[in-house]
Amino acid sequence: MSTPLAAACALAVLAAAGLVPVAAAVGRHWVAVPLAPLGGAVVAAGAATATVALGGPFLAWFAGLAVVAAACALWWRRSGHRPGRTRPDGRTAAARWRVTGAVGAVAVAAACALSLRGLSTPTVGFDARALWIMRAGWFLHDHHQLLVDLRLRQLVLTQSAYPPLVSAATAVAWGVTGVHTARLGVVVVAVLNACALAAAALAVVECGRRGAARLRPGRPPWVPAVAGLLAAVLVVLVAAGVTTPFLTNGYADPLWSLAAVGALSWGLQVPTGSPTGAATALLVLVAGLSKDEGVVIAAALVVLVAVRSVAALPTGDRRRRARLPLGVAAGELAVIGAWPVLMRIVGARGVASSFSSPSGFASRARATVDGMAPYLHVLVLAVPLAVVGGLLLAGTRRRAGLGHDGWAWAALAAGLVAVGGALVTGTGAIGPWILSTVHRVTEFPVLAAWWIVAAWGVVGAAAAVERTGRRGAVPVPVPPDAAGHAPTVPPPTDGRAPGDVVGARP
Amino acid sequence: MVGAVLAAVALAALGVQAARGTAVVSGQSAPSVERQARLDDAFYACLDTQARSLVAPGRTVALGAGDLADVVTLLKAVGSWVTVADPPASADVTLTLRSGPAAPGTCLGTVVVGRVKEPSGRVTVRVGTGAAVPGQGPPPAPPL
Repeated sequence: MSTPLAAACALAVLAAAGLVPVAAAVGRHWVAVPLAPLGGAVVAAGAATATVALGGPFLAWFAGLAVVAAACALWWRRSGHRPGRTRPDGRTAAARWRVTGAVGAVAVAAACALSLRGLSTPTVGFDARALWIMRAGWFLHDHHQLLVDLRLRQLVLTQSAYPPLVSAATAVAWGVTGVHTARLGVVVVAVLNACALAAAALAVVECGRRGAARLRPGRPPWVPAVAGLLAAVLVVLVAAGVTTPFLTNGYADPLWSLAAVGALSWGLQVPTGSPTGAATALLVLVAGLSKDEGVVIAAALVVLVAVRSVAALPTGDRRRRARLPLGVAAGELAVIGAWPVLMRIVGARGVASSFSSPSGFASRARATVDGMAPYLHVLVLAVPLAVVGGLLLAGTRRRAGLGHDGWAWAALAAGLVAVGGALVTGTGAIGPWILSTVHRVTEFPVLAAWWIVAAWGVVGAAAAVERTGRRGAVPVPVPPDAAGHAPTVPPPTDGRAPGDVVGARP
Repeated sequence: MVGAVLAAVALAALGVQAARGTAVVSGQSAPSVERQARLDDAFYACLDTQARSLVAPGRTVALGAGDLADVVTLLKAVGSWVTVADPPASADVTLTLRSGPAAPGTCLGTVVVGRVKEPSGRVTVRVGTGAAVPGQGPPPAPPL
């Protein structure tokens, strides 16, 4: 079987495994397309965890968990839960909504395909060959041998305990096609990267069209929607440049970084309504199951999204209604935390943490800042843009329904602190460590900053046309969220209901 | 006015960076990058084939005999399919690498050497066969 055919088969299997749960949670929305294979990859990661914990064939676990996930999703739908409908009412508004959604999806897909042209070169990265792709074969071994592979000190590979998603997705590809090549693993991981990138970019499209629909519900202005569409295509091309060559050489860094940026965007920026909660939850799981840095950032995102959801609940009813977002957050943390806990239980190589002497923290911190600074020049643009936007356009941003910029900056800061903290307190020689990793470990903060810039681009476009939209506006309903996240737009302070537009007629 | 300026600045910056990103991605298709990738792939495929000529199905393997560089290179080549022995001293086959000048039957000058325990208990040292990559190695290191 040729590599392209094998990759197509593998991705079809992953998408099939993720399709029913994703469709049940997300509903009919363009983002369900890239999320389905990512959902299958999460199922594969669950199968890898179960294989290590309990034994049994990896592929049997994968099939079994996919069936269980589909059954749970169907039961959830039959019990009356459906993703909320976000499409605005009114013929013109609905038509514009559909057009911008479809054009956005096609444009983002084309940009993602363009970004994958690096796959024409059959590069397999160093870590991909030594760890991410190679480890897929371990999951296809029997249980005893799998534990030997993970534990044996003489194998020296201390990264064996890293989260399983990338290797597990590759193991599915190898298992279902019988093609055990590094090239197949690289192609499958690259397409999963593109799926995460598309999901994150579609959040920008969503900011534009939802913002437009909220500003002028009956006849949404084209400008914010088109700005969102344009910004979405541009962030795809920007992200491809930031993550190359790792986007197409089998590394896990682009996957967790792009998924985390997607979760940030869907969970903390996009106006509320279906499918923000479901998309956020799935992308958080992808980030948290892909790499150690992703675990930390995913946990931070879970906390931020939960805090934002609870803070936005009505004060009188907060205690009762907070159970749902807090329960979702606890569930996400449990899934993300299962693998690191399991690795400690089985005594895998590389789980023990060691720290450098505090006396060396200052010099290591200096080296870390010096090493990261050249990659973070986007902050020179994003910070002033956010300050100006926050001072002058905060009202437009709120009325368009976009989350407060501070949430995205908090997530970005968490990413910088997590990576910087590991470098400062770790025991590796700081110079070579930074030289060999800084490009990859700064992907998340760099991408998050570009997504912040994109969001301000949409808000700016909305502000440019908002004045004409203040007449004749009517309230926009805020539908319930599919994954249980409560509407998270802070209620207006001037007595209007959430979702109302300035100038709305009663 | 402020909104229009902010949108223009944000989208223009994104546009400039997108153009740079596109150029970076295009660089991945450069002939030198492709040549390097193909050489790297051929090197590890060659080691894989040679190792398979030394390890019969079901036999346990130790990698590198304590040499860190050999362990990492062999892991990259055969780590996904070999049955690693625990403890390594109990292995049926101990694989190591021997590097030398470019020669026929070598992978860029490197060959896989197997110290094989025969069923009779006798230990024989054999050199892997079945593949070769002409030239002197190692291949250029891919990005870390």
